Amino acid sequence: MKNKLLKKLLLPLAMLFGSFIYAQSVTGTVSDASGPLPGVNVLVKSTATGTVTDFDGNFQINANNGDTLVFSFVGYLTQEILVSGTTINVTLAEDAAQLDEVVVVGYGSTTKKEVTTAVTSVNAKDFNQGVISDPTQLLQGKVPGLSIYNKGGNPNSTGTIRLRGISTIGGNTEPLVVIDGVQGQSLNNVDPSDIENITVLKDGSAAAIYGTRGSSGVILVTTKSGKKGQALQVNYNAQFAANTIANQISVMNSAQFLAAGGTDLGSSTDWLDEVTETGFSQTHNVSAVGGSDNATYRVSLNFRDEEGILINTGFNQVNARTKFSGKILNDKLKIDFNSSLTRRDSQFGFNEALRYAVLYNPTAPILGVDAPFAFNSDQFGGFFETLGLFDSFNPVSIAQQNKNNGEQNTLNYSLDFQYTLTDDISANLSFGEQNIKTSTRQYYPTTSFFRGGALSPFNKGRADFFTSESKNHTLDLYATYNKVFNDSFTFKFTGGYSFQESDYNEYNLGLGDFPPGVDFNFSNAIEVSQDLLEAGRVRANSGRNDNDRIIGFFARANATINDAIYVNASIRREGSSRFGVDERWGYFPAGAIGADINKYLELENVNLLKVRLGYGVTGAIPPGVGLSQTTFGVNNGADGFGASGTGLGTRKPNPGLKWEEKRELNLGFEFETNRLSATLDLYTRDIVDFITNVNIDAAANDGFTSQFQNGGKLNTEGIELSLNYDVIKTDKISYNSGIIFSSYTSKLEKNTGGDRTIANLGAPGQNGTNLIIVREGKEIGQIWGPVFSGEVDANGSPILVDVNGDGNLVTDQGNALAEDADFKVLGHGLPDFELGWTNQITIGNWDVNAFFRGAFGHSLVNTFRAFYEPIIGSQASYNFVNTDLARSDIRTAQFSSYYVEKADFFKLDNLSVGYNFNLNNNYFKNIRLSISGQNLFTITNYTGSDPEPALQDFGPADNGGFVNASPDVLAPGIDRRNNYFSSTKITFGVNINF
Amino acid sequence: MNRLIKLSFLFSALALTYACTNLDETLEDELTSEFSDDGVVVPGGNSGGTGALLGAYNGLRTGTANHGSYFSTQEVSSDELTIGAKGGDWFDGGIWVRMHQHTFGSAHVALNDTWNNAYAGIGQVNLALAGTLSADEIAQAKTIRAFHYMRLLDLFGRVKIITTAGGDAPQSTRLEVFNFVESELLDALGIPAVTSTMDLSGSVLGTGSQPYVVNQFAVLGLLTKLYLNAEVYSGTARYQEADWAATYVIDNGPYQLCSDGCSQPNLAKRPAVASDPANLEGYAAVFAPNNENNPEMIWSINYDETSATGMNFGQMGLHYSSQLTYALDAQPWNGYQVLEEFYNSYEANDARKEANFLVGPQTDFGGSALLDFAADDPDLVVDYTPAINELQPNSLRQSGTRMKKFSFQLFGRPEMNNDYPVVRLGDLMLMRGEARARAAADWSLALPDVNAIRDRAKVSPLASVNADSFFDERGREMFQEASRRTDLIRFGKWSDPWWEKTNSEAFRTVFPIPQPQIDASSGSLTQNLGY
Repeated sequence: MKNKLLKKLLLPLAMLFGSFIYAQSVTGTVSDASGPLPGVNVLVKSTATGTVTDFDGNFQINANNGDTLVFSFVGYLTQEILVSGTTINVTLAEDAAQLDEVVVVGYGSTTKKEVTTAVTSVNAKDFNQGVISDPTQLLQGKVPGLSIYNKGGNPNSTGTIRLRGISTIGGNTEPLVVIDGVQGQSLNNVDPSDIENITVLKDGSAAAIYGTRGSSGVILVTTKSGKKGQALQVNYNAQFAANTIANQISVMNSAQFLAAGGTDLGSSTDWLDEVTETGFSQTHNVSAVGGSDNATYRVSLNFRDEEGILINTGFNQVNARTKFSGKILNDKLKIDFNSSLTRRDSQFGFNEALRYAVLYNPTAPILGVDAPFAFNSDQFGGFFETLGLFDSFNPVSIAQQNKNNGEQNTLNYSLDFQYTLTDDISANLSFGEQNIKTSTRQYYPTTSFFRGGALSPFNKGRADFFTSESKNHTLDLYATYNKVFNDSFTFKFTGGYSFQESDYNEYNLGLGDFPPGVDFNFSNAIEVSQDLLEAGRVRANSGRNDNDRIIGFFARANATINDAIYVNASIRREGSSRFGVDERWGYFPAGAIGADINKYLELENVNLLKVRLGYGVTGAIPPGVGLSQTTFGVNNGADGFGASGTGLGTRKPNPGLKWEEKRELNLGFEFETNRLSATLDLYTRDIVDFITNVNIDAAANDGFTSQFQNGGKLNTEGIELSLNYDVIKTDKISYNSGIIFSSYTSKLEKNTGGDRTIANLGAPGQNGTNLIIVREGKEIGQIWGPVFSGEVDANGSPILVDVNGDGNLVTDQGNALAEDADFKVLGHGLPDFELGWTNQITIGNWDVNAFFRGAFGHSLVNTFRAFYEPIIGSQASYNFVNTDLARSDIRTAQFSSYYVEKADFFKLDNLSVGYNFNLNNNYFKNIRLSISGQNLFTITNYTGSDPEPALQDFGPADNGGFVNASPDVLAPGIDRRNNYFSSTKITFGVNINF
Repeated sequence: MNRLIKLSFLFSALALTYACTNLDETLEDELTSEFSDDGVVVPGGNSGGTGALLGAYNGLRTGTANHGSYFSTQEVSSDELTIGAKGGDWFDGGIWVRMHQHTFGSAHVALNDTWNNAYAGIGQVNLALAGTLSADEIAQAKTIRAFHYMRLLDLFGRVKIITTAGGDAPQSTRLEVFNFVESELLDALGIPAVTSTMDLSGSVLGTGSQPYVVNQFAVLGLLTKLYLNAEVYSGTARYQEADWAATYVIDNGPYQLCSDGCSQPNLAKRPAVASDPANLEGYAAVFAPNNENNPEMIWSINYDETSATGMNFGQMGLHYSSQLTYALDAQPWNGYQVLEEFYNSYEANDARKEANFLVGPQTDFGGSALLDFAADDPDLVVDYTPAINELQPNSLRQSGTRMKKFSFQLFGRPEMNNDYPVVRLGDLMLMRGEARARAAADWSLALPDVNAIRDRAKVSPLASVNADSFFDERGREMFQEASRRTDLIRFGKWSDPWWEKTNSEAFRTVFPIPQPQIDASSGSLTQNLGY
């Protein structure tokens, strides 16, 4: 304080006399390509004299002619300018190499050049554009090795994320999300507009510091924050989007349907048209950032309103985020506080409406009054229903009569104290908590045929309520020792303790038998449910997992030698409460080394030529709590047996259940010139002792048929390449193009669970038809089935091929694994390789961003075709799927290679055009307008709605049943009937900096 | 100030490190301890009382009267019932076509489920036996276990005999399994052998008429069935003992055939349909939803729509639209069809024909024509025709009469209330007649029992009977009671051709050991011959 006062007093004096005695006052503006740059450090070289540019990029400093001014700012190339005169205007160029860019890693950060592991960092400017509600979509196609697919693009569902394929069979295969240093947070609680950077730790040596939870990779999200010394700045941006159906299943119209022998119900209805619409979406984001010398802050408020292409689907979301950072105690104690609150109100709707719109009789009327015969419309709320037909519900009735709504409140906050003990040692204590409450309500009125029991005499209407609360606490305590010994050796050590605990509980209540004809939300009157009077009708369920803990101790050492060789080693000892008593703790070591060879070769024009090698072991926790323990069922007291008692339980205990381990070796190369940068990663990893549900000999195990065991080995090998090139780089025009490429294969080297076929095609009529083979020694995700010869017999049955040529045709499902079976691999559910191609063009104030994406080599089982394309006589009241592959001579539903299609695709995923108005007037600093399109066109031969790979399988559901809640990761490649349809979105955006 | 902060860091570090390495897990939403019927936790097992055998009795239900397990393998492989592939519907990868045509393989999913259900039931018994039971309860439990092994003996032949919780055993021969079942049942009765003069006064089992509880007569009923099939199972005929066991029950048991005057209110009577009878009488009453106190039941499995679930015959057989006939809770599945030849084996006035089958044009709850808006023909009325056009691929949706023996009730749920007989008097009388005839190689000795059964069915007595006509009579009586496959094998007809089926290989009289069990058994289970 005293110093500052002194400066203030002295400064005018200095200015007054400076030009004569000591120095002159130099002024100027610092800007970058897009305008003035606040916060730039300006220093007189070799002196302590310095200043910082103000909000408008202006600075003033005392310097002599002949002095050198140094302008530096994070992310920009440092410039030195010789003083000659009193005005210096500088334009800083962005640091293309960005070798000193800070990269966040577990429990700390490092610089890009020091990274010895496979890490990809994506900044906000490189994100996908448009109305994007699921933060993972920002990264789609941007990170080699990271597959993100949200099949169909339902606004209420989040994408499936896989980093380098699956990393465990039974457990969590989605990456760990760390938001501003706090582990295990929900990505749904971050609004995409608040994200500054997303960094993905890909290989085992990077993730090992997070132990088990990092086994499937780690996604580190850094939210935007204020800048030191920055005056208050307000930003507003808004986006408006229209969402239209991109591709649908091709079915017959009423005339074609009748010509094919379909049952005539007298009308002509385009069911898909009836249940879809153009969805309009808007987002608004207001943020304020600022900072003083000691503190920075950022607050933001986000609002989203999205509509899906299926009628009555979408959500509203409000999100508020604050981020505060301050220093006290002579800058020794730094305190960070982050919090975020999200409330989302969703209309989930029913994907079944799309499914039944595909298969519903196109001659059926929407309303019962238009039925060709006497029809009791009132019973069904006025709608028509094809009674007597299995698995057939009026899609308009589904979408209009029923409600499927939910809300989710997510709150998280974290508090982090960083104390600088000495120049070399600092200590961190951080505490985070996340609390997610969800509530889902489904209402089926008494007139709904779909799940509402409209036909049932005493069970009309249904209300389902589901609430859950999940709490997650983390506490991390660690210290860092960081010492620069001399120019050629620096050393850093981090060690600490980590505690994570999650508590979860849920309640489920379903009941029905409501008074007929009353239209109300049953939540208002569940007491009138007649089910309450009758035993066994009310469905009630609870689940609770408390004290689900992971505790870890970790240490990491980094050394840098000659600023060219980087060594990194870490170890974590971790325990999880999910294991058997004696097997709870495991050690997870990692080591990596990197060398910038160019420091020795000194090639011209080459900024970096780095080779790095890393090895790391991570674990994986079991898919649920208590799997090592047994449980008991209850035998209800039936007639004559009075009270209840204990029965056999639901699973065979396994007290020896232990950690599965993932061992990964990664070799990486990085190359950078001023214009070109390239990264190549090669990896191999083994998952050993993976936890899997193993079929056991029922006789020898008290009638239990399966048990969770450690058994098996999965090997994945892959390659990832990213290339980035500045094709044009001038002041006015720039064009940057980047390609990422990734490919992997996962092979089941050992499988204690035994060879088997999985993924039932389902009803009608295809139960017991399993689509995927799980076989030791083979790749995972192989579609397995008989082969169609192209010929059809007199019955209309497809003639299958005698694959092994033994003269004996064995194509029944029961013999799918038999030695003489005429089955073969019909395709692969996982792509051979995935490609992303980014193009960024800037011309003056215009910028254009075009992003293409593709996946190649994968196949999909087109289940709509397998069920509804054969012209089956006794099924003539379902509509027929009518793709280019439809054959009128196939009249039986026999699954074969004919329904497995190559689904390679290449699409223009994102195209955006923007214009910047640099106004710099009293009100507006700048305004940016943009228009962008998502999913604009797709090149594919796949005849279904969406050729994107299906990475996991939710199983079949029929006749109003519900899909499996826990997807099977071993069964990729099945395009189920319950998928949403893909859409195209056009977005108009405005961004204003005040 | 600095020191204070340093200290507080150090302190919190220590506190957390020591306090938070506890990884003990409690499962709050599961039962992790056993408990008794009075709610007291008993770590070592059950404390006794009726609740102690609940699990053992409950284990009988799964598979007995639902789709995909014991009932399906036993019936669909016979000439009574089939599941035609109705276009895409019910094709299910061809597994039911293969079951019907006897081309099933060891990976057939229903066989594995049958196996698993049996061993789950055996596991329940072994769990109960590990607790404290009375002598009566031990005998009941062992009888239930022997009944599961009798099914395994009949289906698979060579299985593992597990008699303790957590135990394992080598695979036994079919003869060893037969001997085990016999000795367990004799032990339960406390006698060394079944004779014409046996004295059961030393038996710990009761003689009461509570049909859900195993008594002496239930055990003798099982022994009758075991001895009747002994030649198939063990290679040695034991017909004399079968006769003695059955005769003891018929002479000493409190049971009587449900015939005239034995009736129950018809729970399927529609208020608006006058032709629906008000009561079910005689044979039909034995299998009605309200059959719990029927005098013919010697041992039955209790089913209840809420507390004892596992019977889904209505769902399995009825056409989708038949939901509207009975105003059922849920839409049925239109699966099981009765073979035409079997349906036609009944005389027109046979009371069992009316009781066992749903046939002809159907009406809805109000008595109007029942419509199928997806009908294969322009006539929308649902009409169950005795003829089935083909087994696959386009078995017509309304073809085949439908099973109705375990009859329906208005507003019924997918889970039914009818109790399912393990041993009933009618079955026992036919078994006695057959045993007598076979023991003496003189079918006329079966005539009294056959005609008693025919009398109850309101058909005229037979003047004479031979193996074939006896077999047909037994078929008419025992439809839908999972007896037909065993009977076909015993009468040497299992391998014969019938509708949509050619001759089957001789080894198929036992099913293959399920492949998943062999795979998981580390070599301790081997496949049956021929598969």
